[in-house]
Amino acid sequence: MNCPRLKNWFWERYNIDEIRDLVKQKSVPKHKYEIWYYTGGITLFLFIIQFITGMVLSFYYVPHFEHAHKSIIEIVTKLNMGWFFRSLHHWGAQIAIVMLFIHLWSTLLLKAYRKPREFVWVSGFILLGIAIFFGLSGYFLLWDERAFAAVRVATGGAGNLPVVGGFIKAFLRGDIDVTGDTLTRFYAFHVGILPLVTFCLMVLHILLVQYHGMSVPVSIKKEKLKETPFFPNFVYKDLIIWLVMLGIVVTLATLVPPEIGKKADPLAPAPENIKPEWYFLFLFQTLKLFPGEILGLNGETIAILLISAGILFFFLIPFFDRKSQREERSTLFTWIGLIYFLYFVLMTIIGFIS
Amino acid sequence: MKKILTSFAGMLISVTDLFAQQDKFDLLPAASYDRFIVYQNLVIFWIGIIGLIVIIKMKLKEVERIQKMGINKEEKNIPVLD
Repeated sequence: MNCPRLKNWFWERYNIDEIRDLVKQKSVPKHKYEIWYYTGGITLFLFIIQFITGMVLSFYYVPHFEHAHKSIIEIVTKLNMGWFFRSLHHWGAQIAIVMLFIHLWSTLLLKAYRKPREFVWVSGFILLGIAIFFGLSGYFLLWDERAFAAVRVATGGAGNLPVVGGFIKAFLRGDIDVTGDTLTRFYAFHVGILPLVTFCLMVLHILLVQYHGMSVPVSIKKEKLKETPFFPNFVYKDLIIWLVMLGIVVTLATLVPPEIGKKADPLAPAPENIKPEWYFLFLFQTLKLFPGEILGLNGETIAILLISAGILFFFLIPFFDRKSQREERSTLFTWIGLIYFLYFVLMTIIGFIS
Repeated sequence: MKKILTSFAGMLISVTDLFAQQDKFDLLPAASYDRFIVYQNLVIFWIGIIGLIVIIKMKLKEVERIQKMGINKEEKNIPVLD
């Protein structure tokens, strides 16, 4: 489509030559680890899918404890392609979180967080936390017995944190226990607050990446690097990977649609053998390792404190890793990253099997 | 008598319908023909994706070929013919 008059009309008002030149000048380093550069783009793409499918679902979802479960059943069974959009939203979320974890660990192991990119890591890490909360709040919107029990456990666990725990628990639940008020609150988080925060953080994250440019691993930096133009070469490769991802998400959505459990009953006991979503399994399994009481103190509180300390250390790694800051190889932090990774994978697998 | 029997049968059907409510719901269209259509569309979708990937790959190769030849850069101070 070539519309010279429209083009001229636009050009007379907005000079986008600078942006065009900027895109033309941008290049991406070419080396053996370059495949990891695509993980961020894939995550972005999956987030876009989530936004679109989420908007479609929000037209029909009723955020009230009496109607929520029924409205989802109606979306799945009565609406044209409703089952597909719901399934796509579910699988998009699962794969987005997988990709976020892969992106996180690839950044960690390639030391892409090192000076001057500390805030790229910080913004990305917060985005991962938000994505997990997105998952939990979205899961709860189902208002089925599994989701209900999972939120009760998760918010109860947060309540075990000393000093701030009680406030966090009350803030999340909006009541003493998990009730219809919690559903309203989680809906507000899921469709209003979290998307807004995610959008702002994502813009910041991408702008920071553009500002600093792509990070090159320490081991490769000394060599003479080749560069690939961002546009069109990198964009075309990104498009290919996005298409494959779209195919995978659509296939999973079609072949493995997510289950809907029985409607939640706040007065009923939690169903047996209940397990949280896979990204909480490592926490769930860690909590199981601790006895009920340690030296007269609540075992769960100690476990949650230790887990929080572990996550805080992980979050602050760019500030602890001095060797990487000096552009030196930092084997210690590679091992720390690997230990974290193995622990996460192992505990998740044990959680699945047990 | 006929009316009573009919209304009783109607009630029975309504009650059994209540009991027959499924715990699990059809997460895909229930009719086998509809399911077939869904799977068929999935195959068509993948063919479309593969087609697009082939086109993008061809385009990428062409771009790389032009870049290798070095004729992609705009030369400055080109004399204008008009």
